[in-house]
Amino acid sequence: SHEHKLNFGKSKEMCLNFIQDAMLQKQWKRAAEFLTFYAEALEKDFSREYMGPSEIIWRIGTEILCHHSDSSMKEFNSFIEQMKTLGVKRYLKVCLEHSFHLLCNGLIHEAYQSLSLAESWRFGEQRALQDKEIKLIQAYKGLLDYYSWSKQKNILLEHGQDGLEDLSVEQEMHSYFRKAAVNLKEIIKTPGVWDIFVKCYVDLLEFYGDDEEARQVLSEYAYNSKFPANPNAHVYLYQFLKRHGESKKSLISALKILHDLVPSHELMIDFNTMLHKSKKRKKRRLGLEVIFAVLDYVGWKENVKAWSCLARQVKQIVISEKHLDWIKQEWNSRKDWWPPFHFSLYLAKKNWQENESLSYEKALVSGIILGKDCKYFRYVSHQGCKAKVKRFRILKKFVNKHSPVHLRVSG
Amino acid sequence: MEFPATLFPSSFSTGPPREERGPAPAAGWGELGQVLETSPGCHQVRPPCLGQSVREHRRDQARATLTSYLLSLQAEMMFMPHRGGTGESWEPANAAAVPFLPPSATCWVPSLVPQDILYHSFLRRKLPVSNRVPAVDFTKQLSHFFVDHPEDAFGSLGQLLHKNFHLGDSGVEVGASRNNTIRMTGLMEEINRLDARRGCPDEYLASRLRWFSHLSRDWLFEVPLGLLADCVHEELLLQWAGLLFDDGSTGGALAWLPTEDAGACTGCLVYPGGQGMNHLYFQDVVLEEQPRTRGSCAEFELNGRIRQVAAAQSDGENFVGVRSDYHCGVWRVPGRTGAAPIPLQVIRTSVPASCLTVSPHLSGELAICTQSGSTYLWNVETGLQRLRHDPQTMFFRDHSPWRWCDFTAHPRVLSCADRTGLQCLDARAPRRCHFDLFKVGEEASCQQGERVVLPMYLGKAHPSQHLVTTQFSIYVVDERLPLVPVLKWLHMMKSPPLFAHLTPGDPGRSHKLLLGASRTQEMLLLQYQGERWGGQSACHLVGSPQKLHTIAGCLEHLPTQLPHHHCLLQQHLGTPAAGLAAMLQKDGRQESLLVFQLSEAGDVFCQRLTHEVAKPHVPTSGEEAMAAPGSSPLFEDPASSPHEAAVLRYHRWLKAVSKCCGEPPWHSCPPTRSQRRLFTRKELQTLAGPSALHQQARQRLHQAMQEGGRIQHWDLPDNQSCVILQPPEPVEGPDTLTARLAAAWSGDWSQWWEERTSFNRAKRQRALRERRRRQKQARGHRSLSASFTSSLTYQSELSELSDSGLPQLSPVLPQEGSPLRGSPPPSLVPDEALLSSQSLRSRGIPKERRKTLQDYLGVWAEGPPEPPELPSSQASQLCIPSSQSQLSSVSQTRRKRPRMGF
Repeated sequence: SHEHKLNFGKSKEMCLNFIQDAMLQKQWKRAAEFLTFYAEALEKDFSREYMGPSEIIWRIGTEILCHHSDSSMKEFNSFIEQMKTLGVKRYLKVCLEHSFHLLCNGLIHEAYQSLSLAESWRFGEQRALQDKEIKLIQAYKGLLDYYSWSKQKNILLEHGQDGLEDLSVEQEMHSYFRKAAVNLKEIIKTPGVWDIFVKCYVDLLEFYGDDEEARQVLSEYAYNSKFPANPNAHVYLYQFLKRHGESKKSLISALKILHDLVPSHELMIDFNTMLHKSKKRKKRRLGLEVIFAVLDYVGWKENVKAWSCLARQVKQIVISEKHLDWIKQEWNSRKDWWPPFHFSLYLAKKNWQENESLSYEKALVSGIILGKDCKYFRYVSHQGCKAKVKRFRILKKFVNKHSPVHLRVSG
Repeated sequence: MEFPATLFPSSFSTGPPREERGPAPAAGWGELGQVLETSPGCHQVRPPCLGQSVREHRRDQARATLTSYLLSLQAEMMFMPHRGGTGESWEPANAAAVPFLPPSATCWVPSLVPQDILYHSFLRRKLPVSNRVPAVDFTKQLSHFFVDHPEDAFGSLGQLLHKNFHLGDSGVEVGASRNNTIRMTGLMEEINRLDARRGCPDEYLASRLRWFSHLSRDWLFEVPLGLLADCVHEELLLQWAGLLFDDGSTGGALAWLPTEDAGACTGCLVYPGGQGMNHLYFQDVVLEEQPRTRGSCAEFELNGRIRQVAAAQSDGENFVGVRSDYHCGVWRVPGRTGAAPIPLQVIRTSVPASCLTVSPHLSGELAICTQSGSTYLWNVETGLQRLRHDPQTMFFRDHSPWRWCDFTAHPRVLSCADRTGLQCLDARAPRRCHFDLFKVGEEASCQQGERVVLPMYLGKAHPSQHLVTTQFSIYVVDERLPLVPVLKWLHMMKSPPLFAHLTPGDPGRSHKLLLGASRTQEMLLLQYQGERWGGQSACHLVGSPQKLHTIAGCLEHLPTQLPHHHCLLQQHLGTPAAGLAAMLQKDGRQESLLVFQLSEAGDVFCQRLTHEVAKPHVPTSGEEAMAAPGSSPLFEDPASSPHEAAVLRYHRWLKAVSKCCGEPPWHSCPPTRSQRRLFTRKELQTLAGPSALHQQARQRLHQAMQEGGRIQHWDLPDNQSCVILQPPEPVEGPDTLTARLAAAWSGDWSQWWEERTSFNRAKRQRALRERRRRQKQARGHRSLSASFTSSLTYQSELSELSDSGLPQLSPVLPQEGSPLRGSPPPSLVPDEALLSSQSLRSRGIPKERRKTLQDYLGVWAEGPPEPPELPSSQASQLCIPSSQSQLSSVSQTRRKRPRMGF
């Protein structure tokens, strides 16, 4: 009857609430007890909701078995096997999750078997409907094949030096390569974040000398507009280019794109050094822009390396007295917020206490740009002279000597 | 700022969300999401409990497949999951949240509940109940207005016409005025009768009334009725929408300000209070074993309800932004201990502000959003700068005017949000430089109908990460990889998380993220990891989510209350949460997380979670038992009752609550239907005052109190005193009255009578021993049903509490077989004495009615006992309607009628 259904639904819901409550308080045993009652819900599944009891049981059961003190891998596996039979609609999802659990527990071999089984699963239209999962299953299988391949490769390389020839091992390695390459190639065609797969695939290709394909894969991954703007894609491309001894120009252009995307990326320091060394004025100008942009970000606020890059370049410009307008231009958009952001008295005290060389670099920059009356410079140079550190005395002299510069820069 | 060298795999597609799911109960469990290889040097994240079995398994396997190369791989490869790695264990130190501050001194106004504005009568069952079109009872609100504010409703015409209407019983005087005066007595009578017939299904309007209303509808009202009704209806719908989801308090109105002083465990708690939540308090707090307040607090009175308190520290000083609907203010609090807060600036907005955030980068800089779709950067020195004005939502059309903004890793770049997503824009060129950070769509694999509820900048943990919560999920997004969340988890909370708090972890440790919901007071503790420096690991969720105690959860740990007190407390404690704050306290190896929660009633409760730092976490069964306490009376054990200090706090708080809020206004409850059949209204009215019977009963109870001190007197106003009887200690022969009442309370009254007549002392002692044994046994048995009946048997438990020095706080389980159920039906013998014809006559009840009453009561004496579910107070009300009507009215909660701002 309808009322019966309602009551049943209500008690089922209540039971689920109890389970949820217990799990959120990490009372796994209690949750497990309640779950045994909840299993009853499977018998009379009237729900038309998105998530039926069978999925709920799978999710909750997995979670409990992961935390329950009495659970074992054997139990976990048998539970999952039962769950697989419970719903064809998420068969592959359950398989995939199962392999993840196996992988996280170090059972690589079992995970591989589970993935292979899942890959060969056929169930009418269901397989096509779970296309996303099947792709992932294949990709992870490819990944494991790759790991086997690289293992074999290492063995061969070691043995190769001994002059031993092991044909079977080599053949096995090649077969692993073929299996891995097919699957990995497939997944990186679809838009997404596939860092690990791309890395492995490129490694495979590079080993077999297919650099052209590798480059294509990497530039596709970095520049295809259907893919998300993943900084790592550019990093991989840059590293690949660097490995293959590409020209400075192409390296710079790769990093320029990364700079436009993520001005705060850690490679920007390399980029800056590269640009700084360049003979072209335009590139040195860009270098200054890059280092200023890096220091805009909170994450770099206390980075000595970045500050020393800026200090060095600013110092050079001041000494050469050329291109002071570069500093002026950069400073223009920052003059209203860099002083409180970087050069406050509070920060002077803090930096001096925590990191002397940071305070030195910052004092140099602030002294040049803001003049010798800047609070930061005054405090740090005073403290430095008091502590009789030589470089601070030189710094003071330098700033005093070039004091008119700040008027030209910030005026 | 390093970017993780490899991210967890995820597919990416664009467009509106395709998935159609709605809230799913267990959606956040069981999935690891994705896995990523970690080098063996990295800390291992592996589900702990499976560890041992895995090792055994591996040994077995090693024998079987020695040849496999895969096997040797296992030794060096580790995978970490996106969700579900091992986290730190934070255990609640107490069984429930403890009141941190005394309740606010002014009377608390109960907040609106659905019953106040929804139509609920016999009609409700017939009306289709749907979420979209609620049956709002606006006629009730209108009638409240007419009755309570007649001057405003009919003032001018009432004054004009009052000479022409005669309302008295007598005929209209003969005279000059006769021609101009109408006698309205009949109409009045009919109106009065209408009132008595309310609730009757075949209620019909008298034709005379109908005529009159037809005649007067157009001219009688000060405000045209149609217009008024429209406005009221609109307002009601608004209130209803607010009840369903109120985003006014997004962000929370509670903030913790740390002090700079090294070593000093102090800080400052900023919270709103007062009747209208319009007072801002800055309270210095010392953190010791228990956090406690120090000194008096700084108080500011504002002219608006405080919706949000936001705080951030920059350059060693704390800046506190306070948002009310039309005003935003900023205070500066120096980082020293005990420094006084300095108000800096206030701005007024013409449209309610929906967001106020304080910059963590630059001192004195804030960001404001208003409901008109404007975003401003507010600098205390340079003033306001409008960054954006767009009444439309960003990515698709949504009706909500809610807007939010926050700061990012770049001090000049702000993230702006509405219900559809987040966008970052550069304050230097807001029109040109912007990019999409988060979009409700396929990019983040959102669900249909999903909306942004609260964005938050997670700068303290990682400079470029942001939290986005929706009603279904939480997302962590990285500015450097926009649109693709680096972490997603379905949070399964019952109402959307409006508050969040981040406690950053040290390198190698997890960041603690607290989510808080308003309506249900839920709080959830999550841990995630994502290295800030040097680490290569991508952002991943560790540990399982953990529920924290709610304010309402402490109710079961409070001493047993009188039913009406219980209801009041329940209401008081159950008001929606209004904010949360947390702080990490380090004390050698022991770390503890102090979590404060604020409710809309102005209560601030706190709880402590502890964590041992050095000890690696190995869950044991003992630990599980430790984590269990306080969860439910079902699994009660001694550890579950709060510490003594907490008990003291509860006591002080309860005392203060009853003192400052006092009793609810005293009204006698409307007579029940059966009472109305027996008595006229007049009679019932006269019975309300203290009668001779009352006096007598009270005298007796006083006497008993003087003799044995066994009657608990609750501090109520004198003429409303309400007493609770308790079973006495059975050993020393108690006086007869106390013993008899005690027996009556616990249900085996007839047995007592038997014993009393037989004077078999030995038998009685044996029986008493038996009963004690049964009680003990009953306490041993824990059943599910027991937890549900416990609330009905409060009186019988009071006895156990009173004589022990400190009141016991854990709810006592009812005896096996609820007292009302197991015993024979209570005979009416004693009551007959009270209700003899003589006493009835003394109370002015006419003779013929006395007969009816006695017959009526006779039915109760003969008939089957009341169903056991009936609380005893209600049962006695049926027997003695006159004297008990007061008691019953107390047990019903009196709610103020909602006035909707009239």
